[in-house]
Amino acid sequence: MLARAAQLGRVPALIRQNLAFVLLLAIGIAAAIATYELRGAAAFRHAMESAGETFVFILPSLVGGLLLAGALKQLVPAGALAKWMGAEAGLRGLVIATLAGMATPGGPMAAFPLVLVLAQAGADRGALVAFIFAWSLNGFQRLLIYEVPLLGTEFAMMRVLLTLPMPILAGWLSRLIPIRWQPPK
Amino acid sequence: MTATQGLLWLMALIALGFCLKRSASTAIRAGRDGAHSLMRVLPLFTVALPMAAFLAELVPADIAEGWLGPESGLQGILIASVAGGFIPGGPFVSFPLVLTFTKAGAGVPQMAALVTGWAIYGVHRVIAWEVPVLGWRFVAIRMLAGLVLPVLTGLGVAWVLPWFPGALVRP
Repeated sequence: MLARAAQLGRVPALIRQNLAFVLLLAIGIAAAIATYELRGAAAFRHAMESAGETFVFILPSLVGGLLLAGALKQLVPAGALAKWMGAEAGLRGLVIATLAGMATPGGPMAAFPLVLVLAQAGADRGALVAFIFAWSLNGFQRLLIYEVPLLGTEFAMMRVLLTLPMPILAGWLSRLIPIRWQPPK
Repeated sequence: MTATQGLLWLMALIALGFCLKRSASTAIRAGRDGAHSLMRVLPLFTVALPMAAFLAELVPADIAEGWLGPESGLQGILIASVAGGFIPGGPFVSFPLVLTFTKAGAGVPQMAALVTGWAIYGVHRVIAWEVPVLGWRFVAIRMLAGLVLPVLTGLGVAWVLPWFPGALVRP
């Protein structure tokens, strides 16, 4: 199977994915040892419990988001979004991508598969950057569920008003950056 | 299940319904694609979540006042922007941390920079998602395009704060 993967040129992708796993595991083990040594056994248990609770909490989002992404991949035909979010769509493409990003619910497990769908369907780098920034900065769902209850309406409103045009600005900037990039197959 | 999760599932079921309307095999392909992605991300989650929880135990709360206080100015905004990028985990980690820092004496512009740094640099998200999905080159482009935004947000908040006197008032 590995030989076949190598034939398809997918070994770099496999290495990159496992690199992420190994990195996270290494930082996690170091942090676990440090927690036990510096904060004691109770803090260690507390961390394990909160990790377990978080896992149970996000599992429904994870499965729902991946199912949504899987379905959208079947429904959105390649190139359908190109006329909306392609480089030739100019500023309008950036505005549409920004609105779509803010409307995208869920964590990275939901958003990044969607980004992949958009990239494969013809969205340009500016639209992808605008989409990711709009989702991570001002995703309406995170705003309503976490920021407003925890930090208050006034802080959330002030921050959102200030950062609202930033995804468009960054998307426009990214079109000027001279790094070559091809959307993944 | 929360309301948002319900909404996400509703959207997923509607999209699956559209697949089914097209043909049964389209719906099966969609489900298989979702399951395939799940198998790919579950191992990452089983290591990422304990990592985030242990790091949260290690962050000392009393560094807030000196490094991130209202008097820390531009330097505090810079520190907060970078620190925000290294906050692991989702909003369930970052926003409670902002609350902890605020109670410990951090300033409002610094905390806005922290949230923006977390949203834009988000190192753990880059490693776990963006690199595997889009590649290093894309990450480099996106980082360059957004490099100054957290600092800009902090400075902007410092500027407009007089019009938002109730923002992050210490309890």
